[in-house]
Formats: sequence, C-alpha cells, structure tokens
Amino acid sequence: MKRLLVALCALLSVSVFSAEEVYEFASDKQRQQFKQLTEELRCPKCQNQNIADSDALVAQDLKRKVYQLLQQGKSHDEIVAYMKDRYGDFVYYQPPLNPATALLWLGPLLFVGGAVLLVVIRRRGRATQLDQELLAEAEKMLESRQAQENKQ
Amino acid sequence: MKRIGLFLLPLGLFLLITLFLLQGLFSNPRDIESSLLDKPVPSFSLPDVMDASVQYGPEVFQDQVTLLNVWGTWCVTCAVELPFLTQLREQGVRIVGLYYEQELDPDFGGKTIQQIRADINKTVSQLGNPYVFNIFDHSRDTSMDFGVTGAPETFLIDQQGRVRLHHVGDLNERVWQNKFLPLYQELSQ
Amino acid sequence: MLAELGHFSLVLALLMAILLAIYPMWGAQRGQQVLMQTAKPLTVGLFLFTLFAYVCLTQSFIDNDFSIAYVAHNSNTLLPWYYRMTAVWGGHEGSFLLWVLIFALWAVAVAVFSRGIPLDILARVLAILGMVGVGFYLYILLASNPFERLLPFYPVDGRDLNPLLQDFGMIIHPPLLYMGYVGFSVVFAFAIAALVAGKLDATWARWSRPWTLAAWVFLTLGIALGSWWAYKELGWGGWWFWDPVENASFMPWLVGTALLHSLAVTEKRKVFKSWTVLLAIAAFSLSLLGTFLVRSGILVSVHSFASDPTRGLFILGLLVLVIGGSLLLYALRAPQLRSAGRYELLSRETMLIGNNILLCSATLVVLMGTLLPLVHKELGLGSISIGAPFFDQMFVYLIVPFVLLLVMGPLSRWKNQSLAALRNQLLAGLGLSLLAVLLLNLGRDGLSYMAVLGMALSVWIAIATVQEVRQRLSAVNHGLAGLKALTPSHWGMVLGHLGFAATIMGIAMVTSYSVERDVRMSPGEQIELQGYEFRFLGVEALTGPNYTGHVAKLDVFVEGKKISHLQAQKRFYTVQRNVMTEAAVDPGFTRDLYVALGEQLSNGDWALRVYVKPYIRWIWGGAAIMALGGLLSMSDKRYRMARLVKASEPVSKLAGESV
Repeated sequence: MKRLLVALCALLSVSVFSAEEVYEFASDKQRQQFKQLTEELRCPKCQNQNIADSDALVAQDLKRKVYQLLQQGKSHDEIVAYMKDRYGDFVYYQPPLNPATALLWLGPLLFVGGAVLLVVIRRRGRATQLDQELLAEAEKMLESRQAQENKQ
Repeated sequence: MKRIGLFLLPLGLFLLITLFLLQGLFSNPRDIESSLLDKPVPSFSLPDVMDASVQYGPEVFQDQVTLLNVWGTWCVTCAVELPFLTQLREQGVRIVGLYYEQELDPDFGGKTIQQIRADINKTVSQLGNPYVFNIFDHSRDTSMDFGVTGAPETFLIDQQGRVRLHHVGDLNERVWQNKFLPLYQELSQ
Repeated sequence: MLAELGHFSLVLALLMAILLAIYPMWGAQRGQQVLMQTAKPLTVGLFLFTLFAYVCLTQSFIDNDFSIAYVAHNSNTLLPWYYRMTAVWGGHEGSFLLWVLIFALWAVAVAVFSRGIPLDILARVLAILGMVGVGFYLYILLASNPFERLLPFYPVDGRDLNPLLQDFGMIIHPPLLYMGYVGFSVVFAFAIAALVAGKLDATWARWSRPWTLAAWVFLTLGIALGSWWAYKELGWGGWWFWDPVENASFMPWLVGTALLHSLAVTEKRKVFKSWTVLLAIAAFSLSLLGTFLVRSGILVSVHSFASDPTRGLFILGLLVLVIGGSLLLYALRAPQLRSAGRYELLSRETMLIGNNILLCSATLVVLMGTLLPLVHKELGLGSISIGAPFFDQMFVYLIVPFVLLLVMGPLSRWKNQSLAALRNQLLAGLGLSLLAVLLLNLGRDGLSYMAVLGMALSVWIAIATVQEVRQRLSAVNHGLAGLKALTPSHWGMVLGHLGFAATIMGIAMVTSYSVERDVRMSPGEQIELQGYEFRFLGVEALTGPNYTGHVAKLDVFVEGKKISHLQAQKRFYTVQRNVMTEAAVDPGFTRDLYVALGEQLSNGDWALRVYVKPYIRWIWGGAAIMALGGLLSMSDKRYRMARLVKASEPVSKLAGESV
C-alpha cells in the first residue's frame, strides 16, 4: 500500500513540475527563522528597508549570507552579532539597550505611571471648592434646551 | 503660580526636540561610522584580479599607509573618481584596489574572468590607473567583512594594518583635503 | 504667463493671510464689529487666490510647459493626462501648494459653516488660521516656489513623474492625508482662540468636535489608503513599515483619536479641559512636525523629498513660532482652567482618561522611536536603527490594556459605575470571545499566540459593543424599535469600535498566518501554498505609454479547479530609468493571493514571490468602518451650529463664570 502511494506521488510530481525555492530549507522552522532575520536586518545601502524587501546588491549578499549561516547551524543571535560586527548596530532594527535607548522603553512606562498618579492625586483634591449650584443650573439649562430641540 | 511648572512641561519637551532637530539638519543621516574603525583589517586570502596565481592577505597592508579603494568597472561613480585617484598615486599615495563584480552573481548574468580583465584594462587605460594592484573579491565575502555597502568606498589603513577611516561615496579633492589628508600626513610621518 | 499669474496670485493670498491675521483679532480684542466682520471676506479671498494659483500650475502641467522648473522635473509629454494633473503634488513644491490650498479650503469651510458661532470667537479662530497661514505662504513663496522658471534654457521634455506615484491610490492618498493633517489646524485654531479669549467651556468642546471628527476621518482614510498603496505598489506584500514618514502620519492620528474621546468628556462632563486643549495643540503640532520630517531630509526614509537645509531651517523656524508660541500660551493660560464635574474611580471618565493615557504613550513610543536614532547619533553614540521589532513589541504591550479599557468604557456609566454589574458583563464578554476564538481555530495547526491574542481582543470588542447597544435598548425599553432612538453619534461610536476590532483582527491574522515563498519558475511549473496551486504560464513583453516591461501570467487552482488568473508586472519607466513592481492581487474577504515578479535568472527561469495573506483587507476595511463612524458622528444634530448658538449663549456665560 505504502509503495503504491509512493509510486503515485512520483507519478504526480512528474506530470506537474514543482517550482524550486530560491532558498531551500530543511524545515519550516528554518524558513521562519530566515524570514524573521531578513525582516529584522536593515539594508545598509537603501533608504529604509529591511534586506527581505530590497533588491540592492548588498541586500542580496546579506540574504545569501544569512542563509549560509543558517545552514551552518548558527542561531538567530549569532547571525545578528555577525552582521553587527561588520555593519554596526545600524544593521539591526531592534535598537541595542544602553542608557540613551533605555528611554525608549522607560519613557512610555514613566509617562503612564506619572499620568495615573497625577489623575489619582488631582481627583482627590478637586471639586470641593466649586460652586455646585451654578454648575447644576448651567447643566439644567443646556439639557432643557436640548430636550426642546429634540421635540421640534 | 506653582501649578504652572507642570504646564510648562510640554513646551520644555518641544524645545529639547527642536534642539536636536536643528543639529540634525546639518548632519547627513546617511553617514554611518564603520564598525571596523581602529581595528585590524579582517583576514582574507584572495587572488589578483589579473593573475589568479598571485594571492594576497592582510600582510599587504603592513609597513605602509594604504588607501583601499573598493570599485568595479560597472560602477558609474567609480569611473568619476579614477582620474583623481590616479593624481593621488602620482603624488606618491599607495592605492590598492578591492575589485568586485556585480555581474558575477551565480544567478544573474554570466561574465567570464577574461571579460572582466578586458573591461578593467579598457577602463584604466582611458581614465587612469591608480592601483598598485587589485585584489579580486569574487564572492564578495571580504567586502562584507569590511562592511562595504556598495561602490565606491575607500578605507585608509595605517602601517600596522588597522582601518583608520572609511569613506562611502566618491573620493574627490574636497573629501581628500578635509577628511583624509590630515590623518594621512599624521600616519605617514 | 500662467506661471507669473499663479505666482502673483499666491502673493495676493499671502496679503490676505496677513490682513486676516491682524484685523479680525484686533477687532475681537477691541470689540469692534466691523473689523471682526472682515474675517469672512478675507478668508474667501485667501481661498480664491490660492485656488487660482493651483489651477495655473495644473494648467501648466496639462500644457507641458517645461519652462517651469517644477513641471520639467515632475512631468513628461508621454505621461497620461490624468497623471499630469496629479503630478502637481508629485514633488515638494507642488505638494506644498496642495497643502496651502487645502489649508485655505478648511479656513473657508470654517467661515461658511460656522454661522452659529459668536462673531468674536469666529473672528479669533480665523485670525489664528491667518497667522498660521502667513507662515505657510511665506514658506512657499520664499523657499519652495513651484512657479520658478527655467529661462532662457529649458528642456524639450520633462524628467517624468516618479513612477511610484503613477498609481490610482497615489491620486487620492496625498489629498486625503493633507486634508487630515491640515484639518487639525482648525481644531488648533479653536483651542488657541479659546485660550486667547479665556473662554474654555463645554461650548468650545462642542464646536471643536465636528471639525476634529472631519480631520480625523480624512486622516484615517489617508493612512489606510497609503498602506493599501504600499502593499500594492512596493511589491513586497507589506502594509506597514514603521518608516519615519508613516510614523509622522500615525502620530497625529493617535493624538487625534485621543482628542476625539477627551472632547466627548469635556463636552458632556466639563472635565479634563486643560488636557483636551493640550491634545488639540498636540495634534496639529505633530502634523507640522511630520511635514518637517518629510521635507527636511533629516531622517532616512523611503518617501522623503530631496533634502535642502534652508527649507528645513525655514520649517523649523515656523515650528518654533507656531508650536512654541501656542505651548507658551497654554502654559500661561491653562492653570486657570478648572474642571467642574466629579467622578468616582470606577466611571466612564476614568476609562476615557485611561484611553487617553494609553494613546498618548503610544504616540510617545512612535515619537521616540522615530527621533531617537537622530538624537543617539547627535550625542555621538553612533547610528542605530529602530524598526518593526521594537514597535511591534511595544504595541502588543499597549494594546492589551487599551482594549480592556475600550471594552469597559462604553459599558460604564458616567460619574459612577457599580463594580458587580460591570464585572458580570465583562466576564460574559470574555467567556464568549474565548469560545469564539476556540471555534475559529479548531483544526488549525501551528497556532500562534499572537494571533490568538489578537483575535480574542477583536472579538471581545465586538461583543462588548453589542452588549452596550443592548444595555441602551433595555434602558429605553422599546425593544428593537429603540434602535432608532440611538443618536447618530452613538452609532458613530459603535462603528468606530467595530472598525477598530476588524483592523485588529486583520493585523493579528496577517502578521501571524501569512505564508510566502521565493521561487524560481519556468513555464508550466507550479507552487502549492496553503492549498492554492499557483501555475506559472509564462512571461510576455509589455508596453505602456511611458514604460516597457514584462508581465508574468499565472493561474490559481484549488483542488484542480481554476479560481483565479493573475498578471504580475514589472515595469521599466524609460525616462526616470526606474524599475517598478506591479503586484498581481486576487483580493478576498478572508485572504489575498499576491504574486510579484522578480528578475529573470541566467538560465531563463523567473524569480517570483508568492504570498497568501489572510484577512489583510480587514485592516483597511476596519479603517473605512472607523471613518464611516466618524462621519455618522459628525451628522449628529447636536453639531448643527445655527441651532446650538441660541441654546448655548446663556450657558456659556454661566460656564464662563464658573471657570
């Protein structure tokens, strides 16, 4: 049964030729790794493109190198390090962590923290000194006008 | 008036950003410093483009201040800088070529080594030959080790074989005077 | 001759702007009716002169007048007539002319549609617009004049329009985007006018809302269209690249979205006044900053215009005056603003503050991600890149709390919400959405966490939106007939949130489940991807009006049945010597099939890129639904100004006193 299936498959693959991939991968995992790396590495010559999305010669060379290194069993981080050695931090779209870039992650965090704190503090000390009557009156007026309008 | 501090925060932030934007206006975002700076040249073993039996390695940069010029006959800007480089050679500057061929890609185009040699001879006889010799980087691996992004690019390499300057784009009188000459003179002493 | 007329007309427009900046404001401060009444005719004059200049430039393009430098650089006799008309905004100078035209259009719209607004307020608003306009018109006349001549030696033919811009999406993308950007100038002018007058009350918020909505709708559509265009035209199947220029349009959108929500609170509950004003200033400031980033060449981007430091300096000066000045005014005036309403921690107000905080920190992420590489380099720390990995990571962190608030907000009452009631609703919604995600993913192998997260969030928003409508219906107690009782602005919110849910769904699916293959093919070969068989028929030569090229033909089969025929083009634009990819797309509700033609290989095979992109249309569809929601909200009769003024006059006096 199994042999028949194999034969059938062979027959099928003869009748319609399957296209060859530009880069052949042993596994889906490796293909995924290649895709991720080429999307995260920046083409050093282009305007602002990753090497997956560029036809520049240097981008093609880098893609081929990424492929070769993957075939040699290098990990994601090793390949990124290899590229950074040659083209600097510029080549990788994830910025390095240093005192200046820490702001990228801390800034939004501090902003959220600060804003929440501010809201809580200010909400406590508010509203007591306001003339509540005047306010209620204003609101009533606005609402009654609206009600009239809605009827019209 | 105590409360005003908080409300001044956006203005302060904006002015800070403006300062950097102003500074940024006068610098080229495409200038990227080489990561090879002050490091020894990467190791390589490559043939002469004219004679495959001659092999070169990093030792060709020992004991002499050298300009390593990355180029190819297919590159338009390279042709522009050839006459000036030839002038430099006449002034006694040692220039080594790192030659690579765009058309030598396994997939695209198929230029033979004979054609490449003929092209080089034709180009340098017309525009001048600044090169002591040309290292042939057929697989472009060494270019990658040097952090080359295209052509032309020029490296200034000191007597210990360390990269001291990396220039992307054509090398002309102005670039030479401003960027290269001071360091070149210092290194040559 | 036309060029000179156009140029002169721009000078007259500048004159109008100068007068507009002075007289009405003077009148408003002194209480002189006559001076205030000059605002409208001056605005109309501003618009008409700008329109005339614009028509002159367009006619020069149609006439192929290559003695005008700008026409010679951006057009060609071979260019089809419709692209010659859109080529007007194909380069820096002309696109800025479009910018000022749209600016004048907004100004005239304010003058015409604001009959209900008190004259002194209107005079101030238009005067502020006039002041901003003086800057714009000076810039176009002094630093980027589109009418400059190439005399006496001008070329026989032009250098052609950038091929990237020769596409239908590009015809409408810039005008829509500019409508959005410049539209925030109106909101800005309202805020500044209110600060100058010292009258920041609920009426101010009510007047600003429809204009904010209008600008936001345009910006939403403009961004979505730009994304769709990049997807189709760049040929890499990507729809968002975190490019500085995209970021520049995304920041005003984020702040604009925050502004929409906080205006609602300010109008209904009279709280967060100073915060709302700040957002109104920020939205326009970020639009201006975006213009600066695109036009100064300060950042490396795919879209930037040719760089020129003098232009950069000019815009930067403008930025300092407009943004710096308004922020200074804000710092001086805002501390006097007091919020009136009270609210508990668990209330709709709090949810909306949360929404604002998260949207603003998202803006901060984008702003810092865009500018930090510059700062990093100027500090002498070297060049770095900040791109998709960073932004994607940060937005995943932000979206989770954001959606949680989005789900809770509409379900909560103003002032005070009981925890138990809300908890029950939330748990029911969460349970249902998890169940839905489980059903949707049944039988899928290679499950992605990100996709599951995105789907769950998206479905939860949809469910919560339905819950909210039901809650409203049971409140009015009319059953389904009660649907009619809901206001258009309420439906606007419903659509806005549903559209957002659709966009999240699209993003989650397409980033996690897209499949692509880079293949080399010869005719007769095929590649199978996710059950779709792409059969390559061959490549034929192609000739267009101003390009030549190749077209690859493919048939797509599912289980032996042909479902689609695709033609992917690669064009070579002969004048600009540019190669362009025209991807072939078979669009679908649940998936796009996408093929892009690459190079011919040395052995005669062709390189092709084949993609299956699930749910990608949902991203843009969602944006369209959001925009529709914005339109519905605008149509709410609360914003019909003429009626409003009568109702609001006594109230604004009261509110003014309570400030």
